[in-house]
Amino acid sequence: MDALLADLMDSALGHADYADVRHVRSTTERIGTRNGAVDRIERADAEGVGVRVRVHGAWGFAAVRGAERAGAEAALARALEVTRAQPSGPASPLADNIPAVGTHDAGLDGTDPFAVSLEDKLEALLAADQAMRVDPLVAVTEAGFFAHREERTFASTDGALCRQRLGECGGGITATATEGSETQVRSYPASFRGQVSQAGYEHFAALELAAHAPRAGEEAAALLSAPPCPDERTTLVLDGEQLALQLHESVGHAVELDRVLGSETSYAGGSFVAPSDAGSLHYGSPLMNVAADATVPGGLGSFRWDDEGVPAQALPIVRDGVLRGFLSSRESAARAGAARSGGCMRASGFDRQPLVRMTNVNLEPGDAGSLDDLIASTDRGVYMETNRSWSIDSRRLQFQFATELAREIRDGELGRLYRNPSYAGVTPEFWGGLDAVCSWGEWRLWSVLNCGKGEPGQSIRASHGTAPARFRDVRVGVA
Amino acid sequence: MRPLEIAERALAAVPAGVEAQATVTAERSLLLRFADSRPTQATAVDDLEVEITVLRDGHAGGAMTNATDADSLTRCSASAVAAAEAAARLPASGPRLALPAAAPARVHDGYDEATAALDPGRGGEALRAAFDAAARFGADAHGIWTAGAVDTAIASTAGVAASDRVTDAFMKVVALAPSGRSGYAAQTAVASKRLDPAAIAARAAGKAMATGTEAKLAPGEHAVVLERHAVAELLTFLASLALNGLAFAEDRSALSGRLGSRVAAARVNLADSPRYPGTLPRAFDAEGVPKAPLALIQDGVARAVVHDSRSAALCAAASTGHALAPGGAPDGPAPTNLVLIGGGAEDESALCRTIERGIYVTRLWYVNAVRPKQTLVTGVTRDGTFLIEDGEITRPLADLRLTDSVLGVLGRVEELSAESALTGTSEFYGRRFATGVMAPALRAGGVRFTA
Repeated sequence: MDALLADLMDSALGHADYADVRHVRSTTERIGTRNGAVDRIERADAEGVGVRVRVHGAWGFAAVRGAERAGAEAALARALEVTRAQPSGPASPLADNIPAVGTHDAGLDGTDPFAVSLEDKLEALLAADQAMRVDPLVAVTEAGFFAHREERTFASTDGALCRQRLGECGGGITATATEGSETQVRSYPASFRGQVSQAGYEHFAALELAAHAPRAGEEAAALLSAPPCPDERTTLVLDGEQLALQLHESVGHAVELDRVLGSETSYAGGSFVAPSDAGSLHYGSPLMNVAADATVPGGLGSFRWDDEGVPAQALPIVRDGVLRGFLSSRESAARAGAARSGGCMRASGFDRQPLVRMTNVNLEPGDAGSLDDLIASTDRGVYMETNRSWSIDSRRLQFQFATELAREIRDGELGRLYRNPSYAGVTPEFWGGLDAVCSWGEWRLWSVLNCGKGEPGQSIRASHGTAPARFRDVRVGVA
Repeated sequence: MRPLEIAERALAAVPAGVEAQATVTAERSLLLRFADSRPTQATAVDDLEVEITVLRDGHAGGAMTNATDADSLTRCSASAVAAAEAAARLPASGPRLALPAAAPARVHDGYDEATAALDPGRGGEALRAAFDAAARFGADAHGIWTAGAVDTAIASTAGVAASDRVTDAFMKVVALAPSGRSGYAAQTAVASKRLDPAAIAARAAGKAMATGTEAKLAPGEHAVVLERHAVAELLTFLASLALNGLAFAEDRSALSGRLGSRVAAARVNLADSPRYPGTLPRAFDAEGVPKAPLALIQDGVARAVVHDSRSAALCAAASTGHALAPGGAPDGPAPTNLVLIGGGAEDESALCRTIERGIYVTRLWYVNAVRPKQTLVTGVTRDGTFLIEDGEITRPLADLRLTDSVLGVLGRVEELSAESALTGTSEFYGRRFATGVMAPALRAGGVRFTA
């Protein structure tokens, strides 16, 4: 394979200003139970080659399945053909990069999830599925397992040749209760397919889905008769999972440099942030410290090299509340005047070209202690937990989130349950209200498994490290 | 090798006596992106997926590969058999699935040879035409031009041996004015020659360059005129939340227990019509069940939801041919050819005429469900929002957040435009599966905006 990729890049020299190629081989397993029965057991194998060329500032990309020389050569020819057929435009430079050479493995320690029997995985899932059915109002119970292994080899006309092998594993449960026109949902440990890490089977086992299942069922049923979340401006405490998505939507996407520069206007949208805002824009309160760290162990956005062969980095994004940096590629970094790429180019598979994507965009912990400590120091407000719905405008300013559960906070204690909680805000104002972040003991990586971007669409997985945090003067109960 | 031959080879790799379906989906596609009236990323895909679904005592297991050699097909088959057997060994519960029997599918006109050629030259010309048209208005063009050809073949031990070929073409332009205002227009068709890049860009640029000081409206309930793009977005959510047979079976649908009841205004007639003129037709669904028209809401009364084999089994009903995956997709079945019948208004301007003060919405962005059983969704207006005053569009309007029930909006429909057009998808996460909603523009009263 190495020889084929190197030969292909030799062939590209002279025809393109730059070219790179990825060979990707992956295996994915998804197992799901629903209402006490096996709902799906699927295994997917895929292998292919994607060739990317740059001609007169435009990128062309062609993908073909398999790993045969003739197919890869045809993909190079097709990539050149489609690029040349487009209107020509001014070329912009690429930021310099030292060609990547070597190998890297991550998430392969521990037990291979594909070596664990289907029976063992189903036993764990069905036990959790059954344990959620604690109330006749629970209409749907679901438990899921996910495992993914991938080997990707990258070469470029710059002389790069590197190989990475990555493994991921995880799962989760969801109970849905219905009554009249209401549906209420409780998930563990996270909504929308659970919690996944770059790890072996031990990560899934440690989730102990069955042990947490009764609470999910009980809370889903209890929410049906809970009072609605009041519509008011108040203090909001978010759990780490919801805060991870808040960070993802209102910070991570907003600082993708391709969006900032207008390259994603037609689909994902733009950003309220401008390149010149770095160093001056007050993104949030002084307690807000955000980094994009592609080196953190276990993160779904962790790697040794990105899909342009740029080394993984820990980029400061917001320091003491002030915008400091962006997620970038070699092209976008050069357009913004940066000397080097932030190493954030990722592709969802062999048949998609890399885009500027989130790595692990993390909010650093503060000194507010545990979640119990944070609640105890809050006189009045609302605590919200586990994302249920999200929406944000195309410049990443005005957002509206809903969570599965909320509880009243009164005199430093959690009180009654609220159903259908939601909150809304405007990004810098919301983050400006951040006045406490829990400490390291509460900090953990949360997975986002369905981050979409690009045309044709690409869904990637990323992680966000957060600890529960408190925000002042937030509009809640808006939906 | 033709996809049906590959499907038959895959089926032959399954041990004798085992119930199975082999599905082959072959995609060839080309997508050209542009920004600031310059090409940015072009993507050409040539891939094929073989999916083997095995049933053991009514329990399904599946495996996929994009390799077609004998060893790969044998491994794929073994994985599917192992999965089904593991499911069958467990205590019985849940719906027992059966492979649909063979049934003849009707021919359609959803394939265009010239589009299937995926000529990058045609795409390049489309970009040039769009750039020139936007420039005449003083705007920059952002967007995509794309064409695709997808061959699908299904072979099963129940006797299905079917194949289908479809093409689709799509172009959209988001025009950006120097003021920062934007405008949107798009077309979808079976054949790329039906796209008019200059007209698309001109319509988008005209919106972006609309004159007048941008107005702001406070949150609250407002009369609206929704362009077909916004209507299609709301109908797509209605499909997944309420018209979905699995949600219906599990009492999660707004239509659970309400078939035969009034759920929308009397002038609302919604169907899934796979051969409606101008739509993207298909011969059969992911289980090989032939596509056929199905009335969903008639004169405002809920008539049916869509089913695949799994939701049909749960409801003691028959599949309506809306499976998205063999054995049923995790999220349930979905209509892929929604048609909302138009009304009596000549066009969008006519719809505006009775509105004293209201909002003209070109499209909605980042829509998501808030309370699924109430079809309550939220999303933001984008790329062409205008203030309607005294029956006319008067000036640009700052974007707002719509948070309302889809069925609630349909219940307050006052009029629809006579003309409908296909609003297609362009996102294509995973394998290309082009669908579209044939929708008119409409006027509705009292639509709720929360920001």
